[in-house]
Amino acid sequence: MSMDTPLDLLKLNLDEIVFVKLRGAREMTGTLQAFDSHCNIVLSNATETIYELVDGDLKSTTKDSEMVFVRGDSVTLITTPSE
Amino acid sequence: MSFFGFDTALPGQNKGSGRKRNGAKKNNAPMDFEDTYQGLGEYENEEDDYLNAETFGDGTELGADFDFGYGRGNLDANTSSAGHVEQPALNRSYASAAASAGPGALNAGYSLPSAHTMDEGMDFTPMESLWTNQSAVIPQQQPQNPIPQVLSMGEIERQQFQQQQQQQQHGYMNMPPMPPMGYGYPPHAYGPPGVNNTGYQGLPQDFSQSVPQGYPQGLPQGGPMAMPMHMAPMGPPQHYQPIPVPMQQHEQQTPQQAHHQAPASLPQEASPAPVLSREPSESPSSVQPQEVVRADQFSSVGVPEQAFAQEMRPPHNAPGNRGQAIIPDQVMREIAPRETRRGSMRKPQEPLSSEELKKLRIRQAKVDKILRHSGVMTPRDKDFITRYQLSQIVTDDPYNEDFYFQVYKIIQRGGIVGESNKGLIARAYLEHSGHRLGGRYKRADVALQRMQSQVEKAVTVAKERPQKSRENLDGAKEGVLGKISSARNSKAPRRQLQIPLQKEEEDEVTSQAIEDVVQSMNGVELSSSKARRRSSYAFRSVDQRAVLSRSGGRKFVLSLIETVYSEVLELEAQLRSGQDTDSSALWETLHISDDAYEVSPFISILSFDKGVKIMPRIFNFLNKEQKLKLLYCFFSELSHLNIIVTSSYKTNPDPSDSQLKKLELFQSVFLKIIVSFLSSSAEFLEVLGLLLALVKNNNVSFISTSKIGLNLITVLISRAALIKQDVSRGNVLSSMEASTWNEIYDKLFTALETKLAVVFPPDEYSSRVVATSSSGTVTSATVGQSSKHQFYDQSYIWQFLASLALSGKLNHQRVIIDEIREEIFGTISRAEQLSSTAPVEEQQIALYQRDKLYQDLNLFLNVMGLVARDGEISELK
Repeated sequence: MSMDTPLDLLKLNLDEIVFVKLRGAREMTGTLQAFDSHCNIVLSNATETIYELVDGDLKSTTKDSEMVFVRGDSVTLITTPSE
Repeated sequence: MSFFGFDTALPGQNKGSGRKRNGAKKNNAPMDFEDTYQGLGEYENEEDDYLNAETFGDGTELGADFDFGYGRGNLDANTSSAGHVEQPALNRSYASAAASAGPGALNAGYSLPSAHTMDEGMDFTPMESLWTNQSAVIPQQQPQNPIPQVLSMGEIERQQFQQQQQQQQHGYMNMPPMPPMGYGYPPHAYGPPGVNNTGYQGLPQDFSQSVPQGYPQGLPQGGPMAMPMHMAPMGPPQHYQPIPVPMQQHEQQTPQQAHHQAPASLPQEASPAPVLSREPSESPSSVQPQEVVRADQFSSVGVPEQAFAQEMRPPHNAPGNRGQAIIPDQVMREIAPRETRRGSMRKPQEPLSSEELKKLRIRQAKVDKILRHSGVMTPRDKDFITRYQLSQIVTDDPYNEDFYFQVYKIIQRGGIVGESNKGLIARAYLEHSGHRLGGRYKRADVALQRMQSQVEKAVTVAKERPQKSRENLDGAKEGVLGKISSARNSKAPRRQLQIPLQKEEEDEVTSQAIEDVVQSMNGVELSSSKARRRSSYAFRSVDQRAVLSRSGGRKFVLSLIETVYSEVLELEAQLRSGQDTDSSALWETLHISDDAYEVSPFISILSFDKGVKIMPRIFNFLNKEQKLKLLYCFFSELSHLNIIVTSSYKTNPDPSDSQLKKLELFQSVFLKIIVSFLSSSAEFLEVLGLLLALVKNNNVSFISTSKIGLNLITVLISRAALIKQDVSRGNVLSSMEASTWNEIYDKLFTALETKLAVVFPPDEYSSRVVATSSSGTVTSATVGQSSKHQFYDQSYIWQFLASLALSGKLNHQRVIIDEIREEIFGTISRAEQLSSTAPVEEQQIALYQRDKLYQDLNLFLNVMGLVARDGEISELK
């Protein structure tokens, strides 16, 4: 397989669990179903973690989605999850 | 006739223009402009606006509502207006006809835009007629006086009808004299270039609508005429009975030349009328002077069409000159034939009953609606545009560009490849574009055929697309038909990032080179002996990464999978297109006979779900020999298989939900393939070979601690036993085969002996699996019960023991029973306990579970002629 672009690396992780960092203090973990050149991604069985500061305390809430589309402009990082 | 139902007419614009005229020249018009006026008339324009001629063909006014489809009989008017001298020669054709009134305007625009409009009402009139939907505007009138042609189409029609009716009453069927002219004299008009029977021409165009409506200008004028024509076919000509109103309008507007007015008004209004008019030319004479005149001109029908025509012609000629000159030759040709047709079409007028009249009017209204934009484009134009649009959605290679839709289609139709792709597109396109199927004759099939041929052409265009873009031809068309995006289609979408390609393969190459070096240095051991070092059993490879690192690394394996996918997709594409498939490339990518790695990359491919999922599709393309090799490799390195490691209670005592899911997936996908291959095409010796590979190269007792491993062994043994039985029924198993089987079985049994009890996972493991799977969706445990009562399904274990016992001799069976005696009695006591301790309300479930336990146990016991029932073991009777 030719590996020409950074996104080809992402291709290797199709159908694998990935960790995605998003703008707005959010993170997602889920199985990578699809992506495109804009880094729009589709995750299945995804868990989104939202961090916020409440009175100086860091709190996080999580949201589960069976299938979710993440717009690429909010993606800052994609990696495999640390186990 | 707009293609997508887009109403190209700007409401009220015409009116506006009309108003101006009216206001400027005559305010005395009887028509209520307010009714039709949309305020566009306020534009002051006039002169400067004429510059628009370049775009619109000429003297259209600001906010003008172009009624391309509706050419009416204004031609007469135009013609009448002597002022128009420009076009004579050219206009002759339909163009001239069209031009007579509205078309004339257009034409005029070219030739004498300012002059017409400015100078003479005549010009305006023609223009108006052209632009105004209503045929009411009579070119003739216009020429002389700026006629307030603010009438709305509806009004005009009404007037026309009225006129017609009146005429009829009078005995004159002819609606608008104009139409008749056109109809009657098509030949004449056409014939003499100088004589532009605009009106007539217009008619022809209309007629031609089907064919060359493309010429808008001509059409408008002709529109009315055309209308009649159309009408005629549809219903009785009477529809068009001339309505007095038009007459009035004309009169009011201005006393243009009587002829002009009459004809003009009639034609426009009476678009339908023309037909009628033809028949009874009588009316003209009888009707009021102006009206009469018109009638004569238009309706001259029966009477002296020719005469009228002739009369008209002179005037027409002048008007015709206007824009008509521009008309293409094609149009001309088309027109001529139509004209002739017209003649044939005419029908004798008959007095209509009020009901009939009503019907006719309704029909007329419909026709008007339809004709509104008819003739704007010629069929050829439409074909071109259709083809161009289709070329954007049609592809020669649907499976590459439209893969998901194609697959969806197949799924929807149950796998039957039905109608051709092109047929579908043609149909869909017809429906979506709002085409009247079949047009006049409702010949839907014809329309579909036409569209299909269009699609064919479009496919051709699509094929040529790449070349075209190379030549930048698209650039030339850009803007003409909207934005052309063929250069960037699904094949070549716009790229967000343009990154220079580099040879990333270097990485792999170097690593492989290193491998080679290491291999050659390390010596003979690795390269000469095919067998890889297998001293390290999976015990230490619980960590998946350890296994992966021994077969090239995670990234390498993942990229292998991607390569495999692309190979498979390509092969599938070839299969669909009916080409022969060559699986050698695919075989290479599987790295099955690649000894460069400690663990075959193929085994590592199976570590990933996507690697497992692609297997059935891989098997579609491998030949039997390749499949055997693949399975041989698989069984030889079974200990390294990630799924074995994770499904063994020894190496993975606490499986996670996702691991259990993997297990399920593997079972349902890969195990299934193996079973179907073994049962459909494997020979006895081949099965033995696989079993031997398993026994020789693996720690069988470790494999037997994993559910998957045990399943695999079971499959091999039972398949061998089955074949053996089959064979013994027919051909006797050769002694060589029999002895081989015995030998291998002995090996297997020896490997398992004294460790048979370990196939039963400890209770903690079972309960953990149950707990995990019941919290998830996995169903290692029995399905269909509340999670509380799920229990570890041991049937796979008893199946294994049963097949083992089945193939073994008596002493083998005795050993088996000895070793697992505790499990047998344990199972029986568990079953009995279930029924005795379960609460009453769960008795049903308990009973079911108990039966299940006995059932599994008896799988094994029955092989030896025993049966367990109600807590006791007895002989099977």
